[in-house]
Amino acid sequence: MNLKKLSSFLIISIFSLTGFKSFAADVHGVFCGSDLRPNYVEIADEYMKNNPGVNVTLEAVPWGTCQDKVINLAIAGDPVAFSYVGSRTLKGLAENGHILETNIPASQQAMYQPGILNTVTHMGKTWGFPHAFSTKALFMNCGLLEQAGVACEGPQTWDELYSMAEAVTNNVAGVAGIGLAGKDFDNTMHQFLNYLYSNGGQVIDPLSNEITLDSSNTVEALEFYGKLANVAQEGPLAWERSQLTELFNDEKIAMYINGPWGRGQHKEGLDVSTVRIPAGPQGSQGTLLITDSIAVFNNTGVEDHAMALASIISSGDSQYSLDTDWGLTPIMQYPQIGKVAPYNEDYWMMFIDAIGDGGPEPLFVDYKAFQAVMNSMIQGAILEEGDPADLVAEAAEELEEYK
Amino acid sequence: MNKKLRSFNSPTFLAYALIAPAAIYILLIVAWPVLETIRLSFTNSSLAGEDYVGFENYEKMLSSKKFNKIVTRTFVWMFFSVSLKLIIGLIGAILLNANLRGRSMFRVLIMPPWVVPIAIGMLGWLWLYNGYFGIIAGVGMHTGILDGPFGFLAYKQSAFISTIVADVWVGTPMVTVFFLAAMQGVPRDLYEAAYCDGASRWDRFFKITLPQITPVIITMSILSAIWTFNSFEIIWILTEGGPRGATTTLIIDTYKQALGNYKFGRGAARAVVVMILLTLFAGFYLALLARINKKISHG
Repeated sequence: MNLKKLSSFLIISIFSLTGFKSFAADVHGVFCGSDLRPNYVEIADEYMKNNPGVNVTLEAVPWGTCQDKVINLAIAGDPVAFSYVGSRTLKGLAENGHILETNIPASQQAMYQPGILNTVTHMGKTWGFPHAFSTKALFMNCGLLEQAGVACEGPQTWDELYSMAEAVTNNVAGVAGIGLAGKDFDNTMHQFLNYLYSNGGQVIDPLSNEITLDSSNTVEALEFYGKLANVAQEGPLAWERSQLTELFNDEKIAMYINGPWGRGQHKEGLDVSTVRIPAGPQGSQGTLLITDSIAVFNNTGVEDHAMALASIISSGDSQYSLDTDWGLTPIMQYPQIGKVAPYNEDYWMMFIDAIGDGGPEPLFVDYKAFQAVMNSMIQGAILEEGDPADLVAEAAEELEEYK
Repeated sequence: MNKKLRSFNSPTFLAYALIAPAAIYILLIVAWPVLETIRLSFTNSSLAGEDYVGFENYEKMLSSKKFNKIVTRTFVWMFFSVSLKLIIGLIGAILLNANLRGRSMFRVLIMPPWVVPIAIGMLGWLWLYNGYFGIIAGVGMHTGILDGPFGFLAYKQSAFISTIVADVWVGTPMVTVFFLAAMQGVPRDLYEAAYCDGASRWDRFFKITLPQITPVIITMSILSAIWTFNSFEIIWILTEGGPRGATTTLIIDTYKQALGNYKFGRGAARAVVVMILLTLFAGFYLALLARINKKISHG
């Protein structure tokens, strides 16, 4: 072997041993949950088939640590290519340059339900592909309401809701009128926002970025939430929403607010009616619009592939499959792609009709601190540790730091 | 043999050579994180990156009413928890040291709270404290002590007490075992002599047992205080520091700031305060121990 051949051989060997991998585009995607959905794996396989040289690795990370893991990786300078995250994290990630603006195709944008894009929009740009969506409704145990001498008809106003809950508490032994979430948990804030949006309130103006929490709408909503504690299960501060489902199944509470998946979690044989959340004195029957998204991370070198994959996963059949499997409010107007069932049932109308009157989960740079401030305000009202107006003013002032 | 080679063969060099791997390892896993934490505490490190901010984190923290409340709460929590562990541990050790039938079985039975992983134990306590399905509220209602369900973790005071009770449950077995070991080390002839002199049980306990096991009591008090000060999982699993911050201790606040809110700089400043307080504790412990040892060796 002459010197030229030997050096060529050595160069090829070195490249094949050390450098070859760097020519392949490694796209690392993270999804929350214990397992990967089969259709994600199919999409990844198809993508790799159509894009030789691209290696897609999908990872399922348990819910409890999923979001923190990808955020910490981004902070450490080793981001994943794309990940499933709560849309509430997008503002912080966007403002600090960790994620890219998403180029959602116009055709896909047109398919979303009204208000969906607001949940991922900050500074006029969208920062995630909306991927899981829920609205909320009031679930009523008609058997218990009838035992209390109340007709099982959806309350239209807060006063009606309170009267119904009061009747159950006073007339059915061992049963509370309504389930109230008050634990240090995200869904305590979410439950409260359902009432706030049903009273025409707002936390932050997404356009001006001004805190708008300190309003008569919020004070009324907080007063009402605190008042509900009188007709709610004992010690609301020890309960979060998913635990209320257990109380509902055990017939310890007659009503509670939950997402559309609630139906599948209720005990067979319960006579349950699902209705819209009643309106506050200053609002209409609203709901919280809450989404999770797929965010594409910056500085990975495979941003284009990640963007393409996120777009495929969150559109068309793939999105429809997720919504129907998980029992979510339809994120898109599926009749546009010829899919009607199961969303043509009456049950779904309670969740779909509410969309137009819903408000997005507020976006904050420091969303966990935002949640802590809101929960403290809500718990203060339940424990009657201050005047609702003072609690709201105090929370609004604290939120300035985290917007 | 020249001087250089002689020094390589010396016992001192060998000793340093043998210690070196462990010393380097400790430097890497202890000293470096400590130094890095101190450095971070002078920055505003967060999701956005970091800039040097001098003493800003410390100034904000020390001037905050909330922080002062947290420090006070931490000491109150620690005081009650450690006191109860010591009292119950001492009573338990006395009982286990007595000549009871089935003593060995009781000695084994006290261990589970210490042996069971804290997370599992706390999930059990979560159920026990549940107002509707928990056994404590259930017994309370059946006996008429409670007139309805009561959520122990739903109110500030009851949540505070409930976390202390759970911490005492976890920490007492170890205290008991240490006290028991110390009691068994007390020479029998002291008791025999006292018995012959007509000393009552009470006298024998206060004049022989207690003085003899005092070094162990002090050691356990201080070690238990340090561990309790740093107790995280118990509070986190039961209440996450709530309701309304009623069970937020310094370590919980540090975690919330640093890893919950991604305010690494602020979290690091709190961690440094924790470190200083615990160093003072450790210093106090070592000084006290040295004094007691001196007293014992001279006595």
